[in-house]
Amino acid sequence: MLAFVKRFSLKRTKHPRGYEDPQVLASETPFTVNEIEALHNLFKKLSTSIINDGLIHKEEFLLALFRNSSMQNLFADRVFYMFDRKRNGVIEFGEFVRSLSIFHPHTPEHEKSSFMFKLYDLDGTGFIQRHELKKMVGALLSETDLGLSEECIEAIVEQTMVEVDTNKDGKIDEEEWKELVAKNPSILKNMTLPYLKEVTLAFPSFVLDSEVDD
Amino acid sequence: MEKKGSVLMLRYEVGKLLGQGTFAKVYHARNLISGDSVAVKVIDKDRIIKVGGMTDQIKREISAMRLLSHPNIVHLHEVMATKSKIYFVMEHVKGGELFNQVSTGKLREGVARKYFQQLVRAVHYCHTLGVCHRDLKPENLLLDEHGNLKVSDFGLSALSDSKRQDGLLHTTCGTPAYVAPEVMSRNGYDGFKADVWSCGVILFVLLAGYLPFRDSNLIDLYKKIGKAEFKFPNWFAPGARRLLKRILDPNPNTRISTEKIMQSSWFRKGLEEEKDNADAETDDTEPMLLKDCDKAKKQCINLNAFEIISLSTGFDLSGLFEKGEEKEEMRFTSNREASEITEKLVEIGRELKMKVSKKEEGWRVKMEGRKEGAGVEAEVFEIAPSFHMVVMKKNGGDTAEYKRLMKESIRPALMDIVLAWH
Repeated sequence: MLAFVKRFSLKRTKHPRGYEDPQVLASETPFTVNEIEALHNLFKKLSTSIINDGLIHKEEFLLALFRNSSMQNLFADRVFYMFDRKRNGVIEFGEFVRSLSIFHPHTPEHEKSSFMFKLYDLDGTGFIQRHELKKMVGALLSETDLGLSEECIEAIVEQTMVEVDTNKDGKIDEEEWKELVAKNPSILKNMTLPYLKEVTLAFPSFVLDSEVDD
Repeated sequence: MEKKGSVLMLRYEVGKLLGQGTFAKVYHARNLISGDSVAVKVIDKDRIIKVGGMTDQIKREISAMRLLSHPNIVHLHEVMATKSKIYFVMEHVKGGELFNQVSTGKLREGVARKYFQQLVRAVHYCHTLGVCHRDLKPENLLLDEHGNLKVSDFGLSALSDSKRQDGLLHTTCGTPAYVAPEVMSRNGYDGFKADVWSCGVILFVLLAGYLPFRDSNLIDLYKKIGKAEFKFPNWFAPGARRLLKRILDPNPNTRISTEKIMQSSWFRKGLEEEKDNADAETDDTEPMLLKDCDKAKKQCINLNAFEIISLSTGFDLSGLFEKGEEKEEMRFTSNREASEITEKLVEIGRELKMKVSKKEEGWRVKMEGRKEGAGVEAEVFEIAPSFHMVVMKKNGGDTAEYKRLMKESIRPALMDIVLAWH
């Protein structure tokens, strides 16, 4: 009996690399401990879909978003990069929870705005430069099969730069970005995932093995 | 943990005890962030995990509950758990139990009909989603502050008090008064048919003020239920009698379906008028609509580069949580003129007998469902001249119904004008 208890408790404490205590994650995010346990179920599903190592690899991330692990998509690449805070090529559980917390409906808008600015700052210069904007518009248009001409893309980018780059230095800084978001909050729409309020219902296995003390 | 004043998961402050069953306690609680009132049902895990096969059932049922969203069903917000307990955080329904109204005697036919309509619609809705209740009884029928019926514990039959003792159904007070005959006689019954029977018993009680099957001897009571042996009081109208005869049919195979109940003349009484009014409303909107179409040359919203970028599916993380075909928001591109796209949407809405309207500003089409049907809202954005992105999303009504509407009717009808769906 004692041996059984020992083995059982060993099994419970053995967690893959990158696992973090739900209590700690709950104290740093809008999630409850239970919601983090539920997110762990989702994480386990995502992180074992191709390579069974408890880490989300790029291919696994793409597979979840597009049902296709070799999909080429600039924005998905950028989101993955932003989630991979340690920049080691994989998303660990703690990174997953902290990054998703920015998408929580209760997270303040300025955090969402700042995350998005960094996401669009492809070269990491602290500015969204004209060529970055153009690259992103081009990427989206090729994604939607709209065969728009080079001039047409140029016109869209030009129009936006005129509107947003108020100090006319040819790039968008964080202040200009904030003004744009204030005028046009729908730009942040992708930064809120209502599903995050329902994770306990979507991934309910935790109710049986929750480690939360009474 | 669930003592008054304690805080659950740093999110809910527990208030007074609202009710207590054999295995569950229900507390009032308040969300510390939003201030919203909720009801929290607390269950000891020991009680349910001991019953074999129950754990998988609980997981399945919670996932199914997530899909249910209906004005006459108590909404489940979230579930929480500790090592020994499970907490169901639900909508707090303030008006008490429906049967408190009957304890003072029978209801007027019109009032009873209103509750019955709401009950049957809720049951029908769940059945179409593959969820049955299996334990419809007075304690599960609540009223909100506007006097509307709310059915609680839908889809959570694994947690119903009645099932846990021996796997058979009994009500908490030990009488099988609301239970269909086939439920008592064998395992593997059809929960959908059994729900219909319970609706019949409930309707009888509302109209009569007492139960259709009564006997102090349990064996005799079983016999009466098995043969559907009951008498109508003399004040029951012929329409109500006809309907109840078809619901309280001891043979589940010939028993009436929820669909047929909703088509019966007794059920529909009072609804026809409502429908006429709705039609009149649509007629009013038509001249305005045509006038709008004349303004077709007006420019539609021109997206800036960031708005265009944000349409990328690579940036839509809802894919991590649901399958593509289940998304609530759908987008398609089109190389047709904006006016052509909106006209097509209006035409589709009309064909589906929806109430259609176009908004003055921008290129927005609203398609509202009748009664509890789902609505759809579409907005056309210009990316470049004669290149448009159309964003369609749910506009009121139920999510499952909306998804079905999109998949079966709207998407196929749009085929001609769509370049690609995203």
